[in-house]
Amino acid sequence: MAKAIEKKFEQEARAYDDGEIIFREGEETREMYIVQRGEVVVSKKGPRGDIELAILKKGDFVGEMSLLESLPRTATAKARGKTSLLAIHPGGFLLKIRRDPTFAFEMMQTLSRRIRMTNENLMRELGRDIAQKEAVQTALTRSEFDTANEIVKT
Amino acid sequence: MITDIQSSKLVIISDLHLGNPFSRAKQMTVEFINWAVREEYDIVINGDGFEIAQVSFTQIARDIPEVLNAMKQATKAGRNLYYVVGNHDIVFENFLNDWGGFKVAPFLNVWSGDQRIRIEHGHLYDPFFVKNPDLYEFATWLGGFALKLHPSLYNLWIRFEKFKSRFRKKQTKGILGEHPAFNDAAVELLNRGFDTVVFGHTHHAGEVDHGDGKKYFNSGSFMLGTAYIEIVNGVVQKKNYPFKMKMSRLDNVIDNVSNRIDHVADKVTDQIEKASDKMRLP
Repeated sequence: MAKAIEKKFEQEARAYDDGEIIFREGEETREMYIVQRGEVVVSKKGPRGDIELAILKKGDFVGEMSLLESLPRTATAKARGKTSLLAIHPGGFLLKIRRDPTFAFEMMQTLSRRIRMTNENLMRELGRDIAQKEAVQTALTRSEFDTANEIVKT
Repeated sequence: MITDIQSSKLVIISDLHLGNPFSRAKQMTVEFINWAVREEYDIVINGDGFEIAQVSFTQIARDIPEVLNAMKQATKAGRNLYYVVGNHDIVFENFLNDWGGFKVAPFLNVWSGDQRIRIEHGHLYDPFFVKNPDLYEFATWLGGFALKLHPSLYNLWIRFEKFKSRFRKKQTKGILGEHPAFNDAAVELLNRGFDTVVFGHTHHAGEVDHGDGKKYFNSGSFMLGTAYIEIVNGVVQKKNYPFKMKMSRLDNVIDNVSNRIDHVADKVTDQIEKASDKMRLP
């Protein structure tokens, strides 16, 4: 069970045991978390079971999408080993940035990195898709050519 | 922009103010960089390495080429050299990238061993700089004239800051001479997954133990003293580089008088504390 160690208006430290759920996919909670100690496993439901998306370590962020967009959680976060997190509430987010401006810089860096990785993955998938289409096209052209050849022969 | 690095062996110096008429850091900096290269340390200059706010072009021309040359030799020798931008060298940022072969960063998040360390100049947490930037700039410019009278007047100011902060010391945990805001900012960073925070800017070298393995350091000023920070496999220590600094006669007078005042102030604060302890109800 998570226990509040230091409760403040805008942020609080929370401790989790190994395997404890921090938030579940679809849940409507709004806090974001920063890993102080331990690890957090982020996973998403897939057609053949859970897919592990990331393992977060000391200093990494999790849950910021729900805080920024006020949307349900898009993934599940679970503690790995004894883990302690700093929970930042939506109301305290701007206060946190005011007191710790490099926090905003690091968040932008993380989000920018994610966009770049998503773009790279997208390009790779598109490239694969185009290659597949070209292969099918070539095969089709060849088979059409073969069929025409056979007709001519007969 | 590079902010995340890894290093098992690193040294940090800050506030050299090369180019300032009262900076005497050139010789020690060149020696220090050469020593760090021989000992295979990566090097971080944690802001205000070069001066623009109280600049003397004659001094810049005297100081900078030799230091930049030492920096270039360091990078040629395969050492990583990082320059964290401070408030006195913000406008140099674009040039710095081309000059010394070092990497320029707004701050650094260092992984060393299993420790995560933040190195930042710290001017963003200076209440005077943030709340009154114009007045801060004006005061810095005005201070330049006082330093033209005698560079040692700055030592007097540093001693005054230390004396002033004695009255804050009992209320807030922090480095003597610093505004409590710096320690508060360090705590804010320590709470979000850093094991150690290293600032510069205030020119007051020191360290504060926040328990649970968390520490805040200030790398002081390589212009005023010999303090530097060493990180070896995640172990952070404040050390002094063995360099005999030349002291002017006024420096010596200021030192002697300040030490006597410190001594008396120590006694007075102890007596006040004892008296207030007696008055406290059980």
